[in-house]
Amino acid sequence: MEEKTSKRREAADIVREKSKAGFLVSAEELFPTFDSEGAAKPETGDAPTRGESGLDSLMAENTDLNALRAKSGTSFYYSSQFMSDPYARMLLRKQEGAAELVANTVREDSDRYPRPTPLDVFKESPFDLGPEELHSCLEGMSNQNEFQDISQLTTSVGHVFLYSSKYLDRDYALMLAEWIDVGQFENP
Amino acid sequence: MVTKGGWAGKVLRVDLSTGRIWTEDTIEKYKEYLGGTGIGYKVFWDEVPAGTKPFDPANKVIFAVGPLAGTGAPSSSRTAITTLWPTCWPKPLVASGHMGGHFAAELKYAGFDALVIEGKAERPVWLSIADKKVEIKDARGLWGEGIRRTTYEINHLMGPEASVAAIGQAGENQVPMSVVMNSVSHSAGGAGGIMGSKNLKAIGVRGTGSLRIARNKEDWEKAVKLHLSILGANNQHVVPNSPQPWAEYYSVGSRWMASKGRRWEKSNPAIETGPCDPHQLNRIAYRTNNAAYFLGEGAWQYTVRGNGCTSCPIRCHTLLRVPAVATKYGIPEYGQNTCGGLNFGRTFYRSFPDGPRGQTSIEACMVGMHMTDDLGLWNNYNQIQRDFIKLYYDGTLKSKLGENEFKSYSWDKYEKGDPSFLFELLPRIANKEGALGTALGLGTGYHLELWGISEEEWKKDPALQYWKMGHPKHHSNEDAGQCGVIINTQYNRDAQCHSHSNFTRNGLPVEVQKRLAADIWGSADAVDAVGAFTPMNRAKAKMAKWSLLRKELHDSLSLCNWMGPWVASPLKERGYRGEDTLESLLYTLATGDEKNRDELDLAAERIFNLHRAITIRDMGTKDMRTRHDTIPPWVFEDPQGKPSLTKGTIHMDKQDMEKAMDLYYEEMGWDKISGAPTASTYRKLGLAAVGDELKKKGLVP
Repeated sequence: MEEKTSKRREAADIVREKSKAGFLVSAEELFPTFDSEGAAKPETGDAPTRGESGLDSLMAENTDLNALRAKSGTSFYYSSQFMSDPYARMLLRKQEGAAELVANTVREDSDRYPRPTPLDVFKESPFDLGPEELHSCLEGMSNQNEFQDISQLTTSVGHVFLYSSKYLDRDYALMLAEWIDVGQFENP
Repeated sequence: MVTKGGWAGKVLRVDLSTGRIWTEDTIEKYKEYLGGTGIGYKVFWDEVPAGTKPFDPANKVIFAVGPLAGTGAPSSSRTAITTLWPTCWPKPLVASGHMGGHFAAELKYAGFDALVIEGKAERPVWLSIADKKVEIKDARGLWGEGIRRTTYEINHLMGPEASVAAIGQAGENQVPMSVVMNSVSHSAGGAGGIMGSKNLKAIGVRGTGSLRIARNKEDWEKAVKLHLSILGANNQHVVPNSPQPWAEYYSVGSRWMASKGRRWEKSNPAIETGPCDPHQLNRIAYRTNNAAYFLGEGAWQYTVRGNGCTSCPIRCHTLLRVPAVATKYGIPEYGQNTCGGLNFGRTFYRSFPDGPRGQTSIEACMVGMHMTDDLGLWNNYNQIQRDFIKLYYDGTLKSKLGENEFKSYSWDKYEKGDPSFLFELLPRIANKEGALGTALGLGTGYHLELWGISEEEWKKDPALQYWKMGHPKHHSNEDAGQCGVIINTQYNRDAQCHSHSNFTRNGLPVEVQKRLAADIWGSADAVDAVGAFTPMNRAKAKMAKWSLLRKELHDSLSLCNWMGPWVASPLKERGYRGEDTLESLLYTLATGDEKNRDELDLAAERIFNLHRAITIRDMGTKDMRTRHDTIPPWVFEDPQGKPSLTKGTIHMDKQDMEKAMDLYYEEMGWDKISGAPTASTYRKLGLAAVGDELKKKGLVP
């Protein structure tokens, strides 16, 4: 019993350390920790994967741990002590492909702040999309119905921004992009 | 009951005409005005009569700090410099400039809350304040030198810990567009020429004393920790500039630049800023990199470190090392400043061959800092650069300057974005050489007058950002709609108020800002999303009044309004709330004078109304609404013709702004027709004598 508790503590610490470093931990990554206590390996698709695996106890004992399930069914874990929910969602979207990542990030920005999203943001961590990957992603999105709300605009200094027409009309998005890209620096 | 903590206790007075040096008791005479601009305006009201001119010996210049300077409270190192503002057009009026650095703390440790200088020395002098030993010293050997050499020479005499506030050649030549600068890079614009007119080259101050914290020391430590925890980054941006694991929100407009992989590359070894979780209070200094904010990712490779003021962990000055400038321009590889100082040289240009954030742009910054921070030039919130660009490209310079003078400038270099052009332009402004140099040094209102250009022309062009009285807007409608406009009508120079803009730009989503606004100003409707402004309402008027009063409060306590207002925070567990009682908490603990938030805000209101009273007295009119609180036409026009108060435009509606001024005057207790404080308002604020004096002159509604 003590050994099991210790294993769960170890697992929780792994999730926390990974969260601190900016990574999610998949259920698969945690299984080796539980294998030694004889927990059954859950079937892929039964997520969030807990049950016999000891993950139930892990989550119950460590209230800072949260689980997210990808469309593939894989579960991912993070500690809210070190990682925010939106950041974890960003990382999850990354698992689901560049188009989902870009589109949902842009929608969230357009809706919540509201603001258009500079294209260059996606080249940086945690998105880490290379220029070619980003280019082909945008090209692909333009041909898919589910991404038709994602539009592009260019500021007066030539930088590309994306916005969702569900939440921002073009004129407003243009004005905001110009403010982010030029205006705020001219009004320091 | 004051138990005399916080304040040093004495105001130092120096008459340069007679050489007389004496002191006054701070608490006895100035306590109700706190310090900083409060002391400055009180001296002005009492001692500088209407009709005095900026460069008259009778004009006074007041270097004043507040009860929090030197206490170790975060961001508490501002020195307010109050005098008649030489660039205020068409008639110079009272105003204040503000410098950070180390002057404020040294002055307090020397035993003084303020330094009031009057008269004019017979020959160049500098003032040495070494604790209580105050001497007027010969500065003939320094006259003609730049700020850097002056600083080093005085530091050589007084010791490296002394803070030296000096003027360069621009100040000596009584150029209105000049600064006084302490600790090499911390300047206050507009006051350099006033010192020059008094033959005062510099003030060196070294204090070895200490200050008393009146109340319980543990409570003080807790209050300081609270302040640090809600501090954020430069301009009180409370979210990071890029997604960070710990952060719920981020904004590419934030000056919180730290991130894993971003490094001060010119440190040896390079230092990684890291993700900077807001709970790591010993890493606040890594959050801000203003060079990278303004100049782009390329600036990280030149960053040595952040630098800043006594007791401020923000470090808003970025120290850069750019080896190429030593080779190309023969100037030192090192340079440091923030914001306007950092960008001084760069913003003279329309474009650079490698783009707005390329290597050439960085080099223009380095050349600009090297020149202006030594010559002691002021940028008037970048108005001098906007004026220059307009005057050159619309052909005014070619038509107004003599042929020989026009040809003496390498305009081809200028148009190509060559930073070496600054070597031709900047010294001529500082030395009043030629018609162009002389004119640009006067400030906008006076150079327009000199060249026969109507001020109205400047007021129509949104690109010029010109507001009124020789000065530009400073965080107006673009930041906070009607609230920003109101604030920009109130001063005799650019408004310099950040209470509102640092809130609206803090990077939090508008829904969170609205939740905080409801707590602070009574309604979520006080704030709008950027570029989606709604009609005027009472909460916006309350926000405008609060913003102005907190600015005056910060300026009087020595807190940095550029880093405030601390009513938001980076802390999710606080719901991103800051602490609206922070100033009164720090003030009470430091001084022992128990004042709650409302009582301290009332002191700020007294100070702000005294500024208003001096302006009314010196303008000789109570009709402030139409003659002072004016709004330029560009505010009411959208370049694309979009209707006002719709999404996608920042322009305002005239009728709505009339209503805005009505509501604001009501909140202030001012007469709505004239915009002047009423007799009862003066009485309520403890300014009955001020009201009585103005009433005798027919200046109270």
